[in-house]
Amino acid sequence: MSPACSYTTQEMMVSACSRLIRNNECVFIGVGIPLLAGVVASKIHAPDSVIVYEAGGIGAVSRRLPWSISDNATTDNALVATELWRALGDVQRGYIDLAVVGGAQIDRFGNLNTTVIFGPDGTYQRPASRLPGSGGSNDLASSAGRTLIVMKLEKRKFVKKLDYLTSPGYLGGRGERERAGLRGGGPEAVITDKGIFRFDPETGEMYLDELFPGVTAEEVKSLVDWDLKVAPSPKTVAPPTEKEIRVMRMVDPLGVVLGSKSKQEVQPFEEYFRTMKSCYESMVILI
Amino acid sequence: MNKVTTLPEAVRELVRDGDTVSFGGILSREPVACTYELIRQNKKDLTVIVDSRDETVEHLLGAGLVKKLESAYVWVGVIGSGLHFRRAVEKGIPRRVEVEDYSNLAIGMRFLAGALGVPYMPLRSMMGSDIPEYNPRIKITEDPYGGEKVALVPAANPDVAFIHVQRADKMGNCQIWGMLGNDINIARAARKVVVTCEEIVPTSEIRKIPNMTQIPFYCVDAVVELPFGAHPLGVAGCYWIDTPFRKEWLAASQTHEGFRAWLEEWVLSWETHEEYLRKLGPDRLAGLRKMELDNFRIPKIVGC
Repeated sequence: MSPACSYTTQEMMVSACSRLIRNNECVFIGVGIPLLAGVVASKIHAPDSVIVYEAGGIGAVSRRLPWSISDNATTDNALVATELWRALGDVQRGYIDLAVVGGAQIDRFGNLNTTVIFGPDGTYQRPASRLPGSGGSNDLASSAGRTLIVMKLEKRKFVKKLDYLTSPGYLGGRGERERAGLRGGGPEAVITDKGIFRFDPETGEMYLDELFPGVTAEEVKSLVDWDLKVAPSPKTVAPPTEKEIRVMRMVDPLGVVLGSKSKQEVQPFEEYFRTMKSCYESMVILI
Repeated sequence: MNKVTTLPEAVRELVRDGDTVSFGGILSREPVACTYELIRQNKKDLTVIVDSRDETVEHLLGAGLVKKLESAYVWVGVIGSGLHFRRAVEKGIPRRVEVEDYSNLAIGMRFLAGALGVPYMPLRSMMGSDIPEYNPRIKITEDPYGGEKVALVPAANPDVAFIHVQRADKMGNCQIWGMLGNDINIARAARKVVVTCEEIVPTSEIRKIPNMTQIPFYCVDAVVELPFGAHPLGVAGCYWIDTPFRKEWLAASQTHEGFRAWLEEWVLSWETHEEYLRKLGPDRLAGLRKMELDNFRIPKIVGC
């Protein structure tokens, strides 16, 4: 694998996340970086992994990157087009090996908040910041075989105490998932823009396990709101390969996930049409 | 049996202020034209029960028509955020809205219970989380047979559901292509169902492939032929997402006043859906169709 000459942090995260997806796995994918990571894995080292989308698309092989868990692309050339409660029911039944999710706040046991930030005088009904809610995240965190969490490393996100626990990690420590009645395996790793965290097999507490090139453990510790444990000698994450970067850019030419274009940037319809057309042309090579 | 009507007529006849409403689809096949019509007719004080939503609920929240929201997820993923959701919940603009959170499977189970005519369903999600702490309608209890913990959620039986599908006949038999979301259960759970479709087809076409009929006629009260009824969102095998349109809407929605101006231009300035389509222009519509059809087509059904 030859390393790519230049890459963005987002591309690094997609690459690191995609490498944790194994071949032959059924992978349940959330929007954004997880989605792109799943597609990249399926095009490189895990060709027999099958992506499951929440709204019912299973095993799609599309010429366009799905922009959500439910758009038309999620059933293009698919194996199955079924219902949302069926797809999540299959997670609950134990058919799904891996789920990849994001979050707004995380605590040391890998519990996630995607519902609400209260702020000084806020309440659930009138918070400082309202977030989207669970979506399928709680269902996946409760019942998937294991989960990967993808988040930017920031002190306001890696917090001592969540405002609201939307999706369970190890709750208050190892053993608590089982006591709560949850059957899924819990979080395996947290992929951030500075490094990768894993969970102590005894306590369920998160520790820094791998660093991205050029990042120090001290820098990471300064971005976490609790006294973060660090592996004795953290490994360095291998940078994305040229092939990974090429695939990512072919799959996401609009930069919707990679962020090369501003989210809010309004684009003339004709330009959008041309970019989507080139997206189809570039992705067809990958099928 | 002929349930074909117009959208203004269906909304006028079947929806009352204070009703509980639900919508089918998710990003694909969201019945956006129906939310335009609810806004045009100013149907107020709605309780909305939805799984995961983009435009449909954002528009209703922005227009101030929602009293209570029972949902798993409201956000404009990837290209934006939940501007109207946040303004309503955080600041009460344009009005206060009561929220009640569930997980997506929990909402799915609520519709399944509603569709089966039973009072609740058990599931294995949400236990150990704060979702039940803030939502007393979710009960963590013991399975009476095995003693394990389960979460119970109440049946959802909305007064009116809006479902957008690829094709239906005049009886209301709905054939759906692509992801199914929770539509099948929503249609069965609701007391009244408005179906909008890309195309009304003869019943003889429905009979050729009855396996594709996901919603039977007896669930349906009104059938409206409404091509591009999900615009600016997509419909599998028909058209792709109009992202530039959505970005303009998001840019306008940065302020409530901006959204009101957007509503004036794109929802309140016309009388019929055809005028909305004319305003978009035939080239744009053809482009959206081409983006979908160049990529994926609904296969022709062949017999054995």
